[in-house]
Amino acid sequence: MAKKLPLNYAILKYFTTVGEACADDVIDALKGDYANYKAFKKPAIVEALMTAKANGLIDETRFDEDANGDVRIYYATDPDSAAVIKKYIPD
Amino acid sequence: MANVAVPSAGVVAKKKKMDSSFFKKGIFTAFISGVAYGLYTAFMTLGMAKGVWADYFYASPAKSTSGIALSAFVVTYLLGSLGSALNDTCSGIWCVIIALVKGKFGDYVKTLNSRAGRILILCAIIGGPIASSAYVIGLQMAGSIAVPISALCPAVGAILGRIFYKQELNLRMIFGILICVVATFMIGSTTLGDTNKNAFWGIVIAFISAVGWGFEGCVGGYATCMVDFEISITIRQVTSGISNLIILLPLWSLLAGENITLGWRLAGEAISNWTIIFFIVSGFFAQYSYARWYKGNSMCGAALGMALNGMFSFWGPFCCWIIIGLIAGIDGYALAPIQWAAAIVMIIGIFFIAMNPLDLFRKKNTEEA
Repeated sequence: MAKKLPLNYAILKYFTTVGEACADDVIDALKGDYANYKAFKKPAIVEALMTAKANGLIDETRFDEDANGDVRIYYATDPDSAAVIKKYIPD
Repeated sequence: MANVAVPSAGVVAKKKKMDSSFFKKGIFTAFISGVAYGLYTAFMTLGMAKGVWADYFYASPAKSTSGIALSAFVVTYLLGSLGSALNDTCSGIWCVIIALVKGKFGDYVKTLNSRAGRILILCAIIGGPIASSAYVIGLQMAGSIAVPISALCPAVGAILGRIFYKQELNLRMIFGILICVVATFMIGSTTLGDTNKNAFWGIVIAFISAVGWGFEGCVGGYATCMVDFEISITIRQVTSGISNLIILLPLWSLLAGENITLGWRLAGEAISNWTIIFFIVSGFFAQYSYARWYKGNSMCGAALGMALNGMFSFWGPFCCWIIIGLIAGIDGYALAPIQWAAAIVMIIGIFFIAMNPLDLFRKKNTEEA
């Protein structure tokens, strides 16, 4: 069984496995392991993604509006950023 | 290639507002870290002026509660580090409590043994025992002048960022660094001719804290974009508190030619004295300040985050004046006008390092247009 990563590591690592994703995709992908975390809330994950973007680890690809009228931003990693993430957070 | 729909004007406006809110939150977070830094400085300095600390610093001859005579070396260096050790240890305990309450303690333990965790530990040792002790010793030797000197850390961070990560260091930023150096000389001009022979060396030692914190902000800030900021700061403060207590205190004891346990015995006296309440309070503000420093840096960029945090060059003396001078009624914490002016000049220099002031007007014009 794979060792469970710290939540922020798992969020970044997820982006090395998908083409692009939004906060809701992250929540869907990680809720099996992290749903019981107090920090596993959408606003915190949105902020974590915006912080990662501000530091160049992920890039915005597009944005639209979800069914609730909230802005939904999609992110992806480029090969260089993915390599940095994998260097800091190995498999 | 996927056919991507163009978002409506309403969605674009919401997105802009979302980005703006994030940026403003980053600015406020970094700003409040500087205010909390001033409060931590004031409460720690106040604690070191009362109770057993008054016997250490002001009794003649200086002596411990158990009657051990304290040399000038012990008073200046070991006690400076002891103050820093108590503050960081209390701060580390606050961090662990907060991590437990917020359910982040498990992630803290896991992060410790990761690459980013190890980098944060290195930053903690450089920014903690080394820089914090230099800051406290600088405060003891040169007074609150040490505060703006240590506030040169954003300048150092900008230079190290250029060297380590090829970050931008343009003419405007170099100009800002020069403004900070000029401000340092303005501050120094009021003390170098002072009868206090320790002031000059206090300033030199305080500059070591600027180098340490510049390194920490530059390297630790990069690591923190992958680690939750409250986990980062728990690593920082716990590492710093422990390394202060088990490495620095015995080291200073040996360097003073005393028994290796002297630092720990003095720590025992300080912990059992009522003044520990000041360190509990200063430790709280230290964890709050450092956590927001890391978070602010990661949200709005290290250069701007460090510049806003660097406003502690104002908040430090201001809080010392309010809390120690006005509330506690201890003389000697009012700054000369040139020192206040120099702190403001330094803040201007820090802003030049962080951003082009003209951008503020350009942004305003853009928003109005």
